[in-house]
Amino acid sequence: MAMKTDVPTPSGPGASPGGGARGGAEGRKPVRERGSLLARFVHRQRNRPLWMLIPTAIAITVIVVIPVVITVVLSLLNLDVSTLREWLGAPFIGFKNFVNAFTQPNILGVTLVRSIEISFVFAILTTVVITPIGILAAFSVHRRFRGSGVVRAIYLVPYVIPTFVTALVARIAFANGTGFVDQILGDLHIANRNFYWLIGPHAFWAMQLTEIWATWPFIYLLVLAGLQAIPKEHYEAAALDGATLRQRLRHIVLPELGGVLKLGMLLSTLFHFGNFTLAFVMFSSPPPPSVEVLPINAYFNAFSSFNFGVASAIAVVTMVILIVPAYIYIRATRISEGD
Amino acid sequence: MGVSATMPSSTRNSAGRRRGRQRSGSAGSAEQLLPRWIVRAVATVLVVVSVVPVLYMIVLSLTPNQAVALGTIDLAKLTWSNYTSMWSAAPLAAGLVHTLVIAGASALLSVAFGLLAAYPLTRFKFRGRGPFMTVLIGVQTVPGTTLVLPLFAVLSWIQTTISAQLIGSYWAIIVTYMTFGVPLSTWLLVAYLRTIPRDLEEAALVDGCTRFGALRRIVLPITVPALVVAFVFAFLVGWNDVLFASVFTNSSTQTLAIVVQRFANNSAAALPVYGELMSAAVVSSAPVVLLYLAFQRYLVNGLSAGSLTGV
Repeated sequence: MAMKTDVPTPSGPGASPGGGARGGAEGRKPVRERGSLLARFVHRQRNRPLWMLIPTAIAITVIVVIPVVITVVLSLLNLDVSTLREWLGAPFIGFKNFVNAFTQPNILGVTLVRSIEISFVFAILTTVVITPIGILAAFSVHRRFRGSGVVRAIYLVPYVIPTFVTALVARIAFANGTGFVDQILGDLHIANRNFYWLIGPHAFWAMQLTEIWATWPFIYLLVLAGLQAIPKEHYEAAALDGATLRQRLRHIVLPELGGVLKLGMLLSTLFHFGNFTLAFVMFSSPPPPSVEVLPINAYFNAFSSFNFGVASAIAVVTMVILIVPAYIYIRATRISEGD
Repeated sequence: MGVSATMPSSTRNSAGRRRGRQRSGSAGSAEQLLPRWIVRAVATVLVVVSVVPVLYMIVLSLTPNQAVALGTIDLAKLTWSNYTSMWSAAPLAAGLVHTLVIAGASALLSVAFGLLAAYPLTRFKFRGRGPFMTVLIGVQTVPGTTLVLPLFAVLSWIQTTISAQLIGSYWAIIVTYMTFGVPLSTWLLVAYLRTIPRDLEEAALVDGCTRFGALRRIVLPITVPALVVAFVFAFLVGWNDVLFASVFTNSSTQTLAIVVQRFANNSAAALPVYGELMSAAVVSSAPVVLLYLAFQRYLVNGLSAGSLTGV
């Protein structure tokens, strides 16, 4: 709740002293209740133009809600490249796609179980590493100093560079022997120059390091915003009482940041779980098995081997896994909106 | 929770900060959270780590292809030639135009839809408002792969039924990007419209304006900054996407991201042209970085609205 503003929400009590906006339409209604149904509808819409919601409602239904339902339907059908065009008439095969996804490796030799494992490790490891980095970064620029504006801008750069560009730079930086990483590691005699970052099991770590480099500013941004929402008076009172830095951190900052941090870690895990672009662009196509996160597995099932049923089953499993964090996120956001 | 701050509040925060700094030095030290040497060390390390890969990209973009492939970078032999030769090595200019059309159109539509929805959501209390908001937040958590498969299935089914080419057309990809753009811009505009006092519109209503008229004449002009922010964030979703573009575009509509990605894969097979690839990468990222830095005040708000989800 740290950054919630004191702006009255439209539903809040006493939101408008004049009562005109909300109360006006309802207040006048009984007087105008006469007339035809159409006239009444037109009049009501003039005062409360709820029709303005229709385009967005239709858009969200048609391009998000219905597709999600169709994914579930597709996952129960026997689909291949020939039946996809007439998928409505494809044979129903129950949960066979799910069984296949879990037991049979895809064309890259990766089963769904392995992909879930990779996605979990990738998402959780990223969040665990970027959280302390983000917090430290926010603490380091919370207090203004000469040049802090530049530092703040530089902190954002890794995050705002498009993922496909980050992935391409990483592809060259991790290139065997000729890339920046191998050259540095070789010169410092930490590792062999031929570490082969982009193939085999090392590929996962190359991707993991790249993701950490690119996403720590996400936590930084949220924590910095949270820090600045703490009233200045709290710090001043603590200073007057002679609180040490450690006491300030423990009793003023951390309690206020708790909510922001929890939400940040949740969102970060949610996003990293669904990251497709990095694995897709950073490696040659198809990517090595060690980086086959869930979206990559679904994508290659669908568009390389045309197993749309199995791919949809993987997408459904992904959604089911994400239901709990998504629910927590929706609740947290709704509560903070005060609705 | 933190990220629900509205746009003007971040402006207010920075105003507050400025005031605080002017007051005295003691307020500054009261806000100090870490010993000064730790602050310096953290800032130095993070700045270096952030900047080095970017500098690496820029240096490679100024290095001939062959030197990049061999890993023999010579800072004394930098040249601009990649920036001129890359346009013929890959259809980058066409990709840029396609991206501008696709991301621009979908952002424009998203902002229009978003504004229409955000107005009643912030001005009226009605049945279904709560569920509407919940769905709006909920759709931001739907993973991209869950949408790409059914949209592909539906489009290819419609294609067969009406025998017209949809996959590969501008419309298919524009509509697809609205899956992110519409919730994103609605959410940003709800946050903004909440902070606009309603007295102004009420005056117009008393004078006989309709609600829609009040929206057009009173609310719209003061909402322009928020509309720009929503447009930029929705636009960048399209600019950055690879997943949807790789499925729904063909050679006559492929976006810059796809051109660059294919360029990388093709050049890996033959002689690596990584120098030109990096100059293309610089060109693809420079506008994005500049736009985000220009709008960084609003970034936190954009994050909670699902921009930069890394699809």
